[in-house]
Amino acid sequence: MSPEIIQPPEWAWYYIAVYFFVAGTSAGAYFIGAMEELFGSGREREVSRAACYIAFPLLILVPIPLIADLGRPERFWHLFIYNQGGYPYLNLVSPMSVGSWVLLIFSVCSLLSFLDNLVADRVISFPLFSRYYNRIPRRLYAVLGSLAGFFIAGYTGVLLNVTASPFWAATSPFMGALFIVSGASTGAAAISLYLIWRRRNSGGEVERLEAFDRVVMVSELVLIALLLVLAGRTALPLMTPPFVAMFWLGTVALGIAAPLWFKYRSRRHPFGDAPVLAHYLCILAGGLLLRISLLQAGQL
Amino acid sequence: MAKGMFVDTTICTGCKACQVACKQWNGLSAEPAHFGKRPGVPYPVADNFTGDSYDNTGTLSATDWRHVRFIEQIDESRREKRWLFSSDSCKHCSDAGCLNACPTKAIVRTDLGNVVVQQETCIGCKFCIPSCPYGVISFSEETGTAHKCTLCNDRIHNGLGTACAKACPTGSIRFGELADLKKRADARLAQLKGKGEKARIYGYEEADGLKVFYLFADRPKVYGQPEDPVVPQRRLVLCSLVTILTALGVGAAALVNFRERLNGRDEEESHES
Ligand code: SF4
Ligand code: SF4
Repeated sequence: MSPEIIQPPEWAWYYIAVYFFVAGTSAGAYFIGAMEELFGSGREREVSRAACYIAFPLLILVPIPLIADLGRPERFWHLFIYNQGGYPYLNLVSPMSVGSWVLLIFSVCSLLSFLDNLVADRVISFPLFSRYYNRIPRRLYAVLGSLAGFFIAGYTGVLLNVTASPFWAATSPFMGALFIVSGASTGAAAISLYLIWRRRNSGGEVERLEAFDRVVMVSELVLIALLLVLAGRTALPLMTPPFVAMFWLGTVALGIAAPLWFKYRSRRHPFGDAPVLAHYLCILAGGLLLRISLLQAGQL
Repeated sequence: MAKGMFVDTTICTGCKACQVACKQWNGLSAEPAHFGKRPGVPYPVADNFTGDSYDNTGTLSATDWRHVRFIEQIDESRREKRWLFSSDSCKHCSDAGCLNACPTKAIVRTDLGNVVVQQETCIGCKFCIPSCPYGVISFSEETGTAHKCTLCNDRIHNGLGTACAKACPTGSIRFGELADLKKRADARLAQLKGKGEKARIYGYEEADGLKVFYLFADRPKVYGQPEDPVVPQRRLVLCSLVTILTALGVGAAALVNFRERLNGRDEEESHES
């Protein structure tokens, strides 16, 4: 490979990396909620409820940066319909094409879950449909939605891996894996923050979420190490000043290692509310900086 | 019926007639200058131009669909030297990374085998740009879409050859049937080898065969071409598998943590009661 000839797409980080992060967090929250719903006892529903209240509102934001980064924003619908034939178009070897369609499926599932919870919490009601309320196939769209959620969290990494950009190509095939794991961790952090806000952050459910998050964050560190080993020389940009601050300090140290240490530590010595809140915010910021670093390191 | 071009770089004189013909036929304007500050220079400098006499544009771009590269090779004792030229463009790959990546069907292959961007369909998502292993296809801020060589789509569908091949005074760029071009290339290669020269064809195997292929007198790297280009989508299956396995792993972690602990808790509670 002579890397110098590959052109970078010049995707704006404030659109695309932010999209990666928001979609990953929304999808991560959704599949955690759905799995809690599917595997849990159903007695405690705080986590899955919080997940639904997070996933959909975050997802509504997603089209804005995606469309804004296009050269011809007004043509975004070409992603779904071939404008010269008028028929729906799907390109199975293009993660961007498949991703657009799955984003649509995921939106529908997360909207349904969102509405369902609003009805259950008696915020809104549909008198006309109340008779059918118990017949809604909740499990079906929770399963479908969490599959779509996993896809949304991971495909952005695959999308980067299947380009010729040296760094993104060298980190193949683990970028998708890292993005899924990071999405799970930021999703869990978002759920926890929501529960703190609603003052429901206690009980067995929250403990289980924490235990899950610890496993996920350890694997995130392992994947990052693996990625760097694979990247070899192409990861050199990560050693330059802005990336040392963003990636090493922001993501690895403050975004993963420190919160992880905090999590293990607080099992024996509970901390006050403020540090707990801060460590969730650190996880979220770390997730965002991870996406920005990995996007920009491939576009230099 | 596949058409293509054979570029014999060993007889290129670097006259740039092809570059001019391409601009003229395709109505391409000059590359817009991107001005930036350079330390020690009091006025803004157009960063995307080299400022060199022979090669000012440096690379292919949205308005430069052809680019003649000038390569000066001088040995350490400064006795032997040679000057290589090579006229570069889109290779119209048989397995084209750009075409595979496009989510809107803006990039299509015509019945003659060339790969074109349909300007009225492209949304400017820029995914094709890093997906080309040769760094060819480029984004234009002006139109908000991707541009590249079309193999003179309009000309070749009306019985003409490409504008660059037509203009080339030495016959370094030849347009024609792929099979004929290959015969010509093989003959020329044999001739050069017979004279004891180092020469090689670039483009028979790469990306299932490049419709625009080259005869080089040195390693591809010297000409700014990748040594082992990989069509990036060939990594898709492995990447997807690893990502799916990870999703399963995260699912398993959720299962273990959300269910086992729950069972444990159930037992505890039943003990207490
Ligand atoms: S050289 Fe690049 S732009 Fe041309 S067909 Fe191949 S992948 Fe597409
Ligand atoms: S920029 Fe245009 S041609 Fe390139 S992948 Fe996107 S829609 Fe297709």
